[in-house]
Amino acid sequence: MNLSLMSLEISVVALGLVVLLADLWLPAERRRALGYVAAAALGLLLLQNLSGCCSCCVAGGDGTAFGGMFVQDGLSVFFKRFFLLAGALVLVLAVEFSDRIATGVSEYYSLIIFALAGMLFAASANDFAMLFVSIELITITFYILTSFTRGKVAALEAGVKYLILGALSSAFMVYGIALVWGTTGKFNFNELAQVAGNFTDNKVFLFGVVFILAGLGFKIAAFPFQMWTPDVYQGAPTPTTAFLAVGSKAAGFVLLLRFLFTAIPSVTAHWDKLLIIISGITILYGNLCAIPQRNLKRLLGYSSIAHAGYLLLGVAAMTSAGQSAVLYYLSGYLFTTLAAFTVIALVMRHLDSEDIAGLAGLNQRSPLLAATLTLAMVSLAGIPPLAGFFGKFLLLKAVIEQGAVNHGYYCLAFTALVGVVISLYYYFGVIRAIYWSKDAASREPILISTPMRVAIVGCIAGIFWLGVAPGAVLRLAESAVNALHCPGLALN
Amino acid sequence: MATDILFYVLAALTLIFGALVVANPFSRNPVTSAMFLVLTIISMAGLFVLLHAFFLAAVQVLVYAGAVMVLFLFVIMLLDLKEEERRKIKLTGLVAGVVSVGAIVAIFVRSLLATKPSENLPAPTAVGDTATLGKMLFTNYLLPFEIVSILLLVAMVGVILLSKKDLK
Repeated sequence: MNLSLMSLEISVVALGLVVLLADLWLPAERRRALGYVAAAALGLLLLQNLSGCCSCCVAGGDGTAFGGMFVQDGLSVFFKRFFLLAGALVLVLAVEFSDRIATGVSEYYSLIIFALAGMLFAASANDFAMLFVSIELITITFYILTSFTRGKVAALEAGVKYLILGALSSAFMVYGIALVWGTTGKFNFNELAQVAGNFTDNKVFLFGVVFILAGLGFKIAAFPFQMWTPDVYQGAPTPTTAFLAVGSKAAGFVLLLRFLFTAIPSVTAHWDKLLIIISGITILYGNLCAIPQRNLKRLLGYSSIAHAGYLLLGVAAMTSAGQSAVLYYLSGYLFTTLAAFTVIALVMRHLDSEDIAGLAGLNQRSPLLAATLTLAMVSLAGIPPLAGFFGKFLLLKAVIEQGAVNHGYYCLAFTALVGVVISLYYYFGVIRAIYWSKDAASREPILISTPMRVAIVGCIAGIFWLGVAPGAVLRLAESAVNALHCPGLALN
Repeated sequence: MATDILFYVLAALTLIFGALVVANPFSRNPVTSAMFLVLTIISMAGLFVLLHAFFLAAVQVLVYAGAVMVLFLFVIMLLDLKEEERRKIKLTGLVAGVVSVGAIVAIFVRSLLATKPSENLPAPTAVGDTATLGKMLFTNYLLPFEIVSILLLVAMVGVILLSKKDLK
């Protein structure tokens, strides 16, 4: 056993406990700034991880702990950095939002950190027990985070919906895990991979796999498990929505990748049609339903369904090019989505609903925010030279390369292109509201705090960096997905 | 042989009581449903005993039939029972529920029939006494066990925050 592999998780959990306890001694007026301290701590952990001075992240630091349950490889390191960055940015956003939380600001921060810990564990989960426990840690924390502003009916409604559907999907997943374990007797992904080939026509085993996929599909909001997304995105407090859109979805994807390509590669190889269909329908559903939305958070909810569909393109391609494109796309999605939700939290501060009309006159009120939201929308739509374009390009390339194997991939690529064209319409509706709306409700300039400004500029830099100079992240993503295909490395 | 008969009896009881929880022809009182749920859980505990999962059986009775059901009953008593009894069941909801449950059952039964039970691995032998379970939790499954402790902390914080009386 090697506890040093887990130093990052242990530090994050400890940070959560410290924030929770600090509430006891800090005077009420200084609790708000606790979020900055926590964000800075996460930033330090990220820097330490990037510089590779802790033993867990240097090239030779791969390994497993707890009997192969916890795995530290390129993929988990990539996602851990991703989650730390997202967590830090969401905490800065939460500080901005904290004056709208009636009670328990420091609890809000600490719950975000605990959800982050769950995501870090999910990135390393290599076993059904870890998969389930980490997913539950994330989801249950999000039930609370969603209904945190419980004075609002919308937040309560969102919380209850998320709770009921989340509990249902967990039940499906546990049932699936029980069936897979009952037929194979394996809990560990690597061990399962060795025997899964014998079970490709065992229907009970496949039934279990389908149920596990249903549970993961709920996390990433793929069709037909996407019902909760718009309501929860709309009702939840904006920082929660941002973390849900980025962190929770990415956690679902890392588990999905590990489950499909490490645990049951021999089964996945036969399921290209299923993945193609789910991906295509998810893209069309998200994009078509987003068109009539007037609420910005709801619109982003539907758009996040569509993006889950785009990400599934890379999963459906079943090549390492597709998987690294998923990782790359998620990185771009992180900056873009967080930028969009940051602007929403700042602009919609005094409004009850996040109606698109509230954006009117944003250009005069704050050119920086207007530019940020515009860039975010353009990047989500996938226009060069921003992050979203290059990500979509990689995903489509991976899918089309597979077209020779199965012609369904050409249809899928075409569907994705149709989805992109549809999405242009509603993304540009948002941009039109920013620059070309006549009746602005308010003309006051919007004040932006310095940490917030740093976060926004960071997001913009990220969007441009990933779009213009994709090399560095792409290399990281490519080396990360190698871990999926050589499970022998994880066994040593 | 005796265990076989016991299994069929207990499984049948579980199914019958379970059906009576959701669709009781004699009473639409939620308290009756809750009581049938207790019976369902107890017959399921009997099934666990047959699997030699004694600890799980005991926990099933103590936690689910005991603690959780008391909580259920509290919540039911806070509801307006009269209104609940008068409420019409929506036809679309009923049809959707029956169809989806039926579809899942149909697929499951078909996949069970298509699988020969003897092929591949034998079913893992379950050892369910408390000592073994405790050892497993603190050796092989220590990490998930510790993560669950964080989960419980989160749940506790959440319950206090969401149910605290005053919103200061």
